[in-house]
Amino acid sequence: MTTRTTAPPALTVTDVTVRFAGLTALDAVSFTVTPGSVHALIGPNGAGKSTCFNVLSGLCRPATGTVRLGDADLTRLAPHRIAALGVARTFQNIVTTQGTVADNLLLGRHALSRSGFTASALRLPHARREQREQLARAREAAELTGLGPHFDSPVALLSYGDRKRVEFARALCLEPSVLLLDEPVAGMNAAERVRTVEVVHAVRAELGLSVVLVEHDMGLVMRLADEVTVLDFGRVIAHGTPDEVRRDPEVLRAYLGTGAEAEDAA
Amino acid sequence: MSERLSRARAVRLGWTFAAVVVLCALPFYLDAFWLRIGLFSMAAAVGAVGLGLLSGTAGQLSLGHAFFLAVGAYGYVWLAGEPGPGLPTALAAVLAVLLAGVAGGLFSPVAGRVRGVYLGVATLALVFLGHHVLLTADSVTGGFNGRSVPPLEVGGFSFSADSELSLLGVPFGAEERLWYLGLALFAITWFTARGLLRGRPGRALVALRDSETAAAVMGVDVSRYRSAAFVVSSMYAGLAGVMLALAFRRVVPDYFGLVLSVDYLAMIVIGGLGSVAGATAGAVFVTALPLLMTRYADQLPLVAAPGTTDGAVGPTEAARYLYGAAIVLILLFAPDGLHGLVRRLRARLRSRRTAPPPADAASPSQPPASAVRAKEPTP
Amino acid sequence: MTTFLDNIFNGLALGAVYALVALGFVIIFKASGVMNFAHGSLLLLGGYLTAVFHDDLGFAGALAVAVLVTAAVAGAMDRFLLHAGGTDPHTAHVQTIVTIGVDIVILTDLSRRIGGDLLSLGDPWGDSVSGLGPVTVADSRIAAIVVSTVVIAGVFALFRYTSWGLSLRASAEDVEAAALMGVRLVRIRTLAWCLAGALAALAAVFLAAFPAPGLERTTGQIALKAFPAAILGGMASPPGALAGSLLIGLTEALVAGYQSDLHILGEGFGDVAPYAVMVLVLLVRPTGLFGGKAAVRV
Repeated sequence: MTTRTTAPPALTVTDVTVRFAGLTALDAVSFTVTPGSVHALIGPNGAGKSTCFNVLSGLCRPATGTVRLGDADLTRLAPHRIAALGVARTFQNIVTTQGTVADNLLLGRHALSRSGFTASALRLPHARREQREQLARAREAAELTGLGPHFDSPVALLSYGDRKRVEFARALCLEPSVLLLDEPVAGMNAAERVRTVEVVHAVRAELGLSVVLVEHDMGLVMRLADEVTVLDFGRVIAHGTPDEVRRDPEVLRAYLGTGAEAEDAA
Repeated sequence: MSERLSRARAVRLGWTFAAVVVLCALPFYLDAFWLRIGLFSMAAAVGAVGLGLLSGTAGQLSLGHAFFLAVGAYGYVWLAGEPGPGLPTALAAVLAVLLAGVAGGLFSPVAGRVRGVYLGVATLALVFLGHHVLLTADSVTGGFNGRSVPPLEVGGFSFSADSELSLLGVPFGAEERLWYLGLALFAITWFTARGLLRGRPGRALVALRDSETAAAVMGVDVSRYRSAAFVVSSMYAGLAGVMLALAFRRVVPDYFGLVLSVDYLAMIVIGGLGSVAGATAGAVFVTALPLLMTRYADQLPLVAAPGTTDGAVGPTEAARYLYGAAIVLILLFAPDGLHGLVRRLRARLRSRRTAPPPADAASPSQPPASAVRAKEPTP
Repeated sequence: MTTFLDNIFNGLALGAVYALVALGFVIIFKASGVMNFAHGSLLLLGGYLTAVFHDDLGFAGALAVAVLVTAAVAGAMDRFLLHAGGTDPHTAHVQTIVTIGVDIVILTDLSRRIGGDLLSLGDPWGDSVSGLGPVTVADSRIAAIVVSTVVIAGVFALFRYTSWGLSLRASAEDVEAAALMGVRLVRIRTLAWCLAGALAALAAVFLAAFPAPGLERTTGQIALKAFPAAILGGMASPPGALAGSLLIGLTEALVAGYQSDLHILGEGFGDVAPYAVMVLVLLVRPTGLFGGKAAVRV
């Protein structure tokens, strides 16, 4: 992994509206992810968090509004172009491909490598060299996330927590400037959660990237996030530091029952 | 660690070398019948590897493989023959492969957008429309009766029985010569396909199959790779078509029908999806079985000799029964095909040899494979 | 004008028969995610049994036997050959290939029995014709339209009003949720196969009836035209299969009817025209006219 020398560009979401068959999933949502910060996106189920991630990664096109990364407009770009510009993501439900951890991490290097069909088919020297280099990079990502010992294991044989980590490491392989994590600790046990938090801290410190986080574990959000945006029914109802958001009456009302839980967890 | 790796590599090299020696020696010992089985098997293997890339690795169901085989075969015949430009045969063979690739590329508006079973039936259309064109465009294809295939000549050496040639006292006719050509082309296929599968494109194609969404957010240009898989697969099919044309010495439209497409699909599934070795094994099985059955009909119980017509089971029919039953039985007992069967046998042998279970054996907490390929997030 | 009406009528009759076959495809696909390549042989089996038994049992009796036996064969095929692999949706592609194996075995056997013969099914319509306004049409074709309409309406009623139909639709929507139903899922699936087999056997009657010369060993290949019909409508949509079948039937009849004006497309283009139409439709709508998401991966 190369350490970034300059701060990553800011991710700016402006007035994004998404409608599905008459239903408004996101309603004029705006927020800015400060370079190098951890920005949490929280809200009750169905608030539009996942839709928001899908807009950011290009899987879903907004009806109106823009998404910008620094000077680049991401709004109408295909997912693979957005990835090439340095936005990587993980999925709420694990989506890995068949093969070993190494195969999955090398897939993460796809946008950063060049070998096409001809070069790979003929095993041209530069393709082989590239493959070796990318393998080294993938191994670095595996070490960073604690997957080193599993590097050559089939993903299907890993534990749930490890598979979530494969997704995380694969996203890191993209060398992103913005990393979107969709419920990175859901379904993990306490020890795995602690590890994941450590890894997020570590990559942020070492790689200086911005992290956008969707998570239901309020304790984790409060510990990790620099800024929090709260969504409810597709609208931004609050925004600020974790402490500010926690005291916001609007947020407490949206969470109602879950508000107390959040306090407990914190 | 590295010492063990290099030893494994040496063992593998040794096996490869032995296989090559045996394959090269065979024409000195086998008669034309066996060599022809080999030729057809090698051609089928090349085509099956191509379909394996498309349907096994990239997960795009294609029933149109026969069409691309036909493009290769007829392309060669037309380019090298009269009527036609009458190009040098070697050049015509190369161009025919490229032509098949172009045909695959022309299909990309469909291939890039249509998925799953829809793509399967859309490719079915290629076979029927292609067959119709082969029958109708007499001036190029020779219509129903087809065309004879000009023998391949490379640098004055003809792959036919036109000139006398004998090596070590063995007369070298068309079959013997084509055998080495087939081996060389198959070796190229093996080398390139494995390079593709283990390289960056292969991983992108696997990702497409397992989750297009994940592939896209990892930077894979989905529609481009879907189309590219079609082009590459069609080129292998085109090469197989050229090889088949040379082996048959005559191309006719009826050969390139739906049955052929289905045969290729059966090859890759019987062999085991997603592996070059599996596709090869499946190709040999599907190709050789009916030929062997016909040849040894008289020694099989319940099978009548060819020519008897009292409602008894003839050799061709017996071969079809066995072929159908074999497909069902293999997949019933080994849903991951011959390749998976061999892999499991090997794993069992290895674990028996080394008392403690090796690291790659399934751990008790192994999740079902379907859990890994979780359903795609709905955007 | 009469030629035009003639062609339209022929197209409708053809479409009605395709609908019986295509509906079977769609039911099987909805229930098991399998593309049934053995459908053509099931159809041929139904026709063959009717032909064999009609002398002894009369047409109606023979047809009843044929429908029951074909349904049983289809059900047994699912239960014993396909289902052994489990309900995992990822094995659907393997099961699809297994149907190819079954198709080869059944088709080989029936072809051997039928040989080069043309079998009569002993249907009551024979070669009689009726005047329908300005056009003269074969009674068998009127029967095809009437019977198909009634049967298809019955199948739709099954979908809508029986618990089987509801479960089938539920399992097609969400395999995981339906899997919780456990054993019942197996039964729903097998019943779907039986129904599809019965529909195929029925279709065979009209494919072999006048003006067709009789049942041949190639009659089953007609099932291949129901593929584009099913796809056109959207593989998971029974009403779509109906619309697709009519579109395919009309296309084929019209192209064949105006053959002489379309001679640049070559002789016999009517047979392949459905595929051309299908490709054009898929270019505009990649999951068919009524389609949702594609589900099978091979």
